Amino acid sequence: MSLQHEIRFMINGAPKRIAVPVTMSALAMIRDGLGLIGTKYGCGEGECGACTILVDGVSVNACLMFAVDCDGRVLTTVEAVASTPMGEKLRDAFVSHGAVQCGFCTPGMMVQATHMLDGSPHPSRDEIKRGIEGNLCRCTGYVKIIDAIAAAAEGSS
Amino acid sequence: METIAKQTLIGKRIAKIDAPDKASGKSRYIDDLNLPGQLHAKILRSSRVHARIVRIDTSRAKALPGVHAVLTAADVPYQRPLGILAKDQMPLKGDKVRSLRDEIAAVAADTEDIAEEALRLIAVEYEDLPILSDPCKALLPGAPVVHDAHPDNVTTKWDYAQGDVAVGEAESDIVIEDTFRLHYVTHCCMGVSGIIADFDSSENLTLYSNTQVPFLHKREFAQVLQMDPARIRIIQPPIGGAFGSKLDIYPFEPICVFLAKATKRAVKLVFTREEEFIASPTRQPVILTLRSGVKKDGTLTFRTVETLHDNGAYTSWGASTPFVMMQTFSSLYRVPHCKYHTTVVYTNNPYAGSFRGYGNLQGTFAVESHMDKLAEALGMDPLEFRLKNAQDPGEVTPQGLHFKTCGLKDCLRTAARFSDYRRKQRENAAKQGKPGHLKRGVGMASMLHVGGGAKIYPSDGCGTILKIDDFAQVTVMTGASEIGQGSETVLAQLVCEELGLPMSSVKVVNNDTDITPWDVGVHASRTTFIGGNSAIGAAKKAKAKIFAAAAKVASVDANSLDLREGQIVDAATGEPYMALAKLVRSLHFSDKAELVMTTNYYEPPSQHQDKEFKGDVSAAYAWATQVIEVEVDTDTGVVRMLNVTAAHDVGRVLNRLGIEGQIEGGIVMGAGYALTEELIVDNGVVKNPAFRDYKLVTAPEIPEMDIHFIETMDGEGPQGAKGVGEAPAICVAAATANAIYNATGVRIYELPFTPEKVYRALVAARVEKAAA
Amino acid sequence: MTATIEQYCTPVSVDEAATVLRGGDVTILASGTDLMPQTQAGRARFGRVLMNIRRIPELRGISIEQGAIRIGTLTTVTELMESDVIRRDLPVLVEAGDQFASDQLRNTATIGGNICNASPAGDLLVPLLILDAEVELVSMPGGTRESRQVPLREFFVGPGKTARKASELLVAVRVPRPPDGFVARFYKFGTRPALDIAAISIGIGGVLQRGVLTRVRVAFGAVAPTPVRAPKTEAALEGRPLTVDTIGAVAQVAHDEVRPISDVRASEWYRRELIHNLTKRVLDNVAAT
Repeated sequence: MSLQHEIRFMINGAPKRIAVPVTMSALAMIRDGLGLIGTKYGCGEGECGACTILVDGVSVNACLMFAVDCDGRVLTTVEAVASTPMGEKLRDAFVSHGAVQCGFCTPGMMVQATHMLDGSPHPSRDEIKRGIEGNLCRCTGYVKIIDAIAAAAEGSS
Repeated sequence: METIAKQTLIGKRIAKIDAPDKASGKSRYIDDLNLPGQLHAKILRSSRVHARIVRIDTSRAKALPGVHAVLTAADVPYQRPLGILAKDQMPLKGDKVRSLRDEIAAVAADTEDIAEEALRLIAVEYEDLPILSDPCKALLPGAPVVHDAHPDNVTTKWDYAQGDVAVGEAESDIVIEDTFRLHYVTHCCMGVSGIIADFDSSENLTLYSNTQVPFLHKREFAQVLQMDPARIRIIQPPIGGAFGSKLDIYPFEPICVFLAKATKRAVKLVFTREEEFIASPTRQPVILTLRSGVKKDGTLTFRTVETLHDNGAYTSWGASTPFVMMQTFSSLYRVPHCKYHTTVVYTNNPYAGSFRGYGNLQGTFAVESHMDKLAEALGMDPLEFRLKNAQDPGEVTPQGLHFKTCGLKDCLRTAARFSDYRRKQRENAAKQGKPGHLKRGVGMASMLHVGGGAKIYPSDGCGTILKIDDFAQVTVMTGASEIGQGSETVLAQLVCEELGLPMSSVKVVNNDTDITPWDVGVHASRTTFIGGNSAIGAAKKAKAKIFAAAAKVASVDANSLDLREGQIVDAATGEPYMALAKLVRSLHFSDKAELVMTTNYYEPPSQHQDKEFKGDVSAAYAWATQVIEVEVDTDTGVVRMLNVTAAHDVGRVLNRLGIEGQIEGGIVMGAGYALTEELIVDNGVVKNPAFRDYKLVTAPEIPEMDIHFIETMDGEGPQGAKGVGEAPAICVAAATANAIYNATGVRIYELPFTPEKVYRALVAARVEKAAA
Repeated sequence: MTATIEQYCTPVSVDEAATVLRGGDVTILASGTDLMPQTQAGRARFGRVLMNIRRIPELRGISIEQGAIRIGTLTTVTELMESDVIRRDLPVLVEAGDQFASDQLRNTATIGGNICNASPAGDLLVPLLILDAEVELVSMPGGTRESRQVPLREFFVGPGKTARKASELLVAVRVPRPPDGFVARFYKFGTRPALDIAAISIGIGGVLQRGVLTRVRVAFGAVAPTPVRAPKTEAALEGRPLTVDTIGAVAQVAHDEVRPISDVRASEWYRRELIHNLTKRVLDNVAAT
């Protein structure tokens, strides 16, 4: 039986208290412990970005983070990101620009794009590409994802 | 009087129906589904490449608290073999292991962690056997035998001929021959493989599966599990990508069912990413020798092709890629004489499955490399050379492929024009020898692929059930699966077009074999064409029923009516008679109560090919030409793909957003095949089973893309459309090879064009030149 | 995967952390970006104690002390890149940071973690070597704090191995403020802007005056068991005017000096060719300044 540790944190705007095994990843805690399945397992090694979440407003790969390290922090997953003003703009842009095909990379892209636009509200296409360089997509070829992020940045969907 | 004008959805940018849920993180993929009381399964895979299994000791694993079942082959004597063309793979291996991915045992436990720990407690004793990892060695006397039933290691052979290549060679003024080596890549779907198996109390089985071929799988699972197919139901959750990887049954799937049977609980099995790399099918690796001839006036004369296909340890779709490859060699450009041979051999390597393009990437790489080489030998402009040999609409090839519509020449001219191909090609060739370490090049390649299905099964059809309810909401129940490519949205679009309804009126049900009618499956770029025609047919039947009833009510001729914006209108004036919903209700709530429900099964007018592989196997064919511009850094060998100008004969653009997305994604997949992706298999071992060292193309690396659609309006295609799913990936590597040659004067005959490979080729060429 | 961890702690001071380390068999958790994949893959094992150092304020922050730039061990790559001090005085670290993995990883990976992970290809390590960085290690052997500085070039002892004792905590990296006229270049070979494990990487620094480099520092990554300085290459460059001939000669020395291996990323031969061609390119770039 793995050592458990109790942590308290904010998740999507609500406080949470949960005991987690000390070796558990934040990704496993979010998906299995909290039932928030929008954040995806893509590789478990921080290479694909499918598990991107915001921690204290900054994007990280949940698969590389220890769940115990969430203690005292503010976590935001795609479920909440999608209902922020920028998140809604992004979601509408992703939908209207055809940026979603199988959709598996989409939550990670949405969260990473939200963080990117937060810090850089008017990125160039090259900056957008660099911004999502840690998010792999196998379906779209990225073009329409870049289009969508650019459109959301401009304020039009 | 308010009139309603005719509008069309065709060619518009239509948002994917499931996109909002996917962007909100609401869609539940296989790993997001959890059944109450489910157990988690893990598979113990072989730690040897080729070995006899002497003993498996599962006692310690079974004793671990939380473990509910540990199975080996001995526990499932009723298991039956899997395989395509040859059923040579038992789900659980009992006598020997033939590759590193081989499944030896399986565990079902309360949690994934416990299941993993149980795997560690299983002890296996092996007796090593010599490893066969070089397909060229498979045929040598004394080679290790992979399957006793095939002591010569030959899985199968393929032969095709048209005309007489001896005649063709005799007529040729120039003959060239080269050997091409095409490598291992793998699908890398962002969602890893998984399955949930659940028996109900009457022993009916429900499978939550990512399959692309649910109805074929129902039948095949029944065989493998020795069950009545009527008792198998397949439910398809949204899929995290497929690209052909989900066309066969893999061992993990029946294994999961064995565990569900043994434990009487629902069992869920999901791969890790490492497992996905190690145990998924690959693209078919090929060693290919092509001999091509041409007359001095530029007419192609013959192609002779010999290939060696590494079948790996077990047989899957890769062994059947020659079926497609022979089409490429026999019919991509006009060639009177062609002889094609493939020998497929067993080795202890990973096995190849079906992967977007299905052998056509490999074949086109060879054909189009030779087209440029022949043009240069002739002193002929490479575009003119291609145009000279390009087919026209109406042609029937010696293989019997009937090109009812054929946009090849338009594709060639369009791609050349918008890429400024001619000028750049000449200028770059002239700059090859000049100083400067960055060299630019442009390369052209075309492709031919089926665009109206492929009649390889007894039926290539698709069924639709359509119902319109009292509120004029339409439900389309289709056998055609959605694998992320947007087929669901296109089918809805075609039905809405037919019925004059907005997209919000249509729901598509496509993921439950208990509800939907038969479809052969998602492959061969067939779904828009065949699923689309099936849906349109069902909608047309519904429309006829509606018009017949409305004609009576309005006392007009049924032929004078149209459906627009949910209203039944006069076709000529647009004057509305009544709302569709009202008409449907009146049909329903009358004394001759009737619902508007129709069914339609569409079988495309294609042929089964005969024993010599001749016959019009598809209802339509699709072409594309791509011109790719690269920049080669001759100090490092890095090839940057700057831009791709693509001209695709798609018949007709239906959903502009969707089709662009398919082409952009296909081009990037092709770029990965050409430049960055390689599954490194060394003595049967996958050396790079992780994204860290298996390089998918990332966002900063994509080329600029200029996409043009050639609309040849196919007579059989839905609204004139042809299939496009595979096309954009097919000729990227070929065009890149030609571009690198244009930039550097060096031709490379093997993929991928990694920096080291390109650099070595450049250095070798410099050395050769200096020695000469 | 069963862990053998018996205790998890989150000290709030360096002294507290050093005291825990004295007990032995401690695994340090900073960002976890190396620890998580390595333990999950079985390439590393947890000790009896898992110690999360992220709540120690003294380990954060970038400051200037006695002519040196002190970078707290928990400084993330993003923080490094956004720091005014680093951008002004050590821009080569910003260059290296920009080629590091991905935004998500830059936001959480720490400079201390990077150093202690001691990857032969570590992106930040090569520029730190040419900047004459030192690490500051703290321990509490007898109840009082002791600290020592170790030059980075002596700190890497093998792939994944450093000179840090199990009882020591790496608290900061110190980089002397570069002299006037100091130029530095970092080049990482790859086909992507970032997200690539370097096949080779090059760091070159020195005081550039009238086309001559002095106080030359050259470091290479991914061509040895650890990131290394290249003394022969440095000697070949030191004080020589950056002519075409000199640059060509230096590139050859570099080619001969490195001891790369062949692996899935690149062959030994190719790594040497890259070192040769790209050292030349970097020096051409410096000469053109």
